Amino acid sequence: MDLTASGVKTASVAKPARTGLLPANVVLGGSLLSLVGLTWDIQWHSDVGPDTFFTLPHLFLYAGSAVVGLASLAVVLLTTAARRAGRPVDPRVGGRVVNVFGKTFAAPLGYLVSGVGAATFLLYGLWDQWWHGLYGFDAVIDSPPHIGLLLSITVSLIGTTAVFAAAREHRWGRLGTLGSLTVLLTFAPVLALGLQQVPDDYADAVSIGQSTMAVLLVAVGAGFFRRPGGAVGTAALVAAVQAVFWWFSPWAAQAYAEMVGLPMRDAISGVPEMPSLTPMALLPVAALMELGYLAGRRRGWRPGRVSVVVGGVAGLLIGLSLPVQRVLLYTGAHLPPAWYLTTTAVLSAALGLLGGFAGWRFGGMLCLLAPAKKGETADA
Amino acid sequence: MRKALLALAAVAGLLFATAAPANAYEPVNIVHTERVQAGPYGLTVGFSTWPLKAMQSLDFTFIPDGGIEGKSGTLTMVNPEGGQNRKQPLVRHPRKLDVWGLDVRSMPRPGAWTLRFTVNGPAGSGTGELRALPVLEQPGPPMGVSWAISTLPLIGLVVLVVVAWRRTRSRLRGGELPAIG
Repeated sequence: MDLTASGVKTASVAKPARTGLLPANVVLGGSLLSLVGLTWDIQWHSDVGPDTFFTLPHLFLYAGSAVVGLASLAVVLLTTAARRAGRPVDPRVGGRVVNVFGKTFAAPLGYLVSGVGAATFLLYGLWDQWWHGLYGFDAVIDSPPHIGLLLSITVSLIGTTAVFAAAREHRWGRLGTLGSLTVLLTFAPVLALGLQQVPDDYADAVSIGQSTMAVLLVAVGAGFFRRPGGAVGTAALVAAVQAVFWWFSPWAAQAYAEMVGLPMRDAISGVPEMPSLTPMALLPVAALMELGYLAGRRRGWRPGRVSVVVGGVAGLLIGLSLPVQRVLLYTGAHLPPAWYLTTTAVLSAALGLLGGFAGWRFGGMLCLLAPAKKGETADA
Repeated sequence: MRKALLALAAVAGLLFATAAPANAYEPVNIVHTERVQAGPYGLTVGFSTWPLKAMQSLDFTFIPDGGIEGKSGTLTMVNPEGGQNRKQPLVRHPRKLDVWGLDVRSMPRPGAWTLRFTVNGPAGSGTGELRALPVLEQPGPPMGVSWAISTLPLIGLVVLVVVAWRRTRSRLRGGELPAIG
């Protein structure tokens, strides 16, 4: 059957603009699958409980990484084939090509990182399975294999961000970078739960970790876009995902419990677990950071330095807000003493300075993944 | 290439072969019990594994004489150093709804733990303790080794950042990149 119609306009997007769009979106889709699986899984453990390896949320988690891994592998193999055939390789597809195992493989940097993250995820998955065989299915998020799994996802999400950043000159590249940063920022507070292993006698290590990662990633957004809206846009998208998951996570846990015929636990908090880890003060704090960047731009201050200052202020505010947020959300949670809040906020501010500094720089590094245009300093 | 695909298939196969079938939730199988007297209430504490080992999960059941109907209560876990966990309400075991319990819960570290119960019911309120609950050392590799294995991706990430940082330093210094969009 002929589905073409006469008079159909050709797409307005030129072919080079579309190059790389498909694998980049497949990789982002895989990351989103993992994120949905994670928020569902965490809620499942707190509201319903019993675990096996093959729960639906686990399937989402593993399918997400498999999608990321296979798409990355495909791009690496295609790039390798192209180079062997002497065809030019477009650096907008995943960034600069690096050699792997001598010159056996040619891998665009972004896809190399996302693929390695997905591969290590599978390896840590095997280790996690062995761990559960030894210790059983006690659902602790901060077991060594779980942290290995979460770190692997982080690596593949950083690769995903790089993949889109390499296509910075296209709108889809910039939007995808924003999307990938959003996934990273939504995911980061769970990874910070690994800091529960750090002694917290004098300050709240988890809150400090969560606020540092939030500040860092908002600063990456600002440093990548280098125009008003980079910081607040990242935070706004995170808030939107938080709102969707706020509804989705408890719903999905309950729907799945009904599906497999398990009752809900008697004593559930009713609070969506993973969305309540995301700092709720993020959007207003990011707006404040944005004002700082704007003011710096007007006065001609160097944005890298402005980013350090706004990062410090943001770290202080988010670090202070997180213990308060927990008290507001969970009945029975107590506000720690003032000295403890102070040490937590001060350490968050100190690491926020670092987050603002490194985040702006990482944003710049992401920009450099894209092929430079004429006249760009990146070319120098 | 073929080797890589075969390895991938082997890993996937191993994952599926070693995994328990979906939704096969095990019944609560009590292999050891202890008795606690909480005021007027006798309480049987059941364990699905015995002896207990640190970090190894098990099912606990807490069964008051005459059943849980019309009764409520709380449980506090006291660690070997005397530190107390937050008091939690006694709730039904999710896979054995006729009794109170905890599902797939582990004791985080070895030593003599105490379980403190408060039970409220028709005969008033009573408190009792199961003292010196022995928890043996954790099985498996030492935690240091496990954490070292788990933090490998973090080390890889740090190396990547350091290399990228050094390579882009000169290009990012001084000259500002233009805004986009």
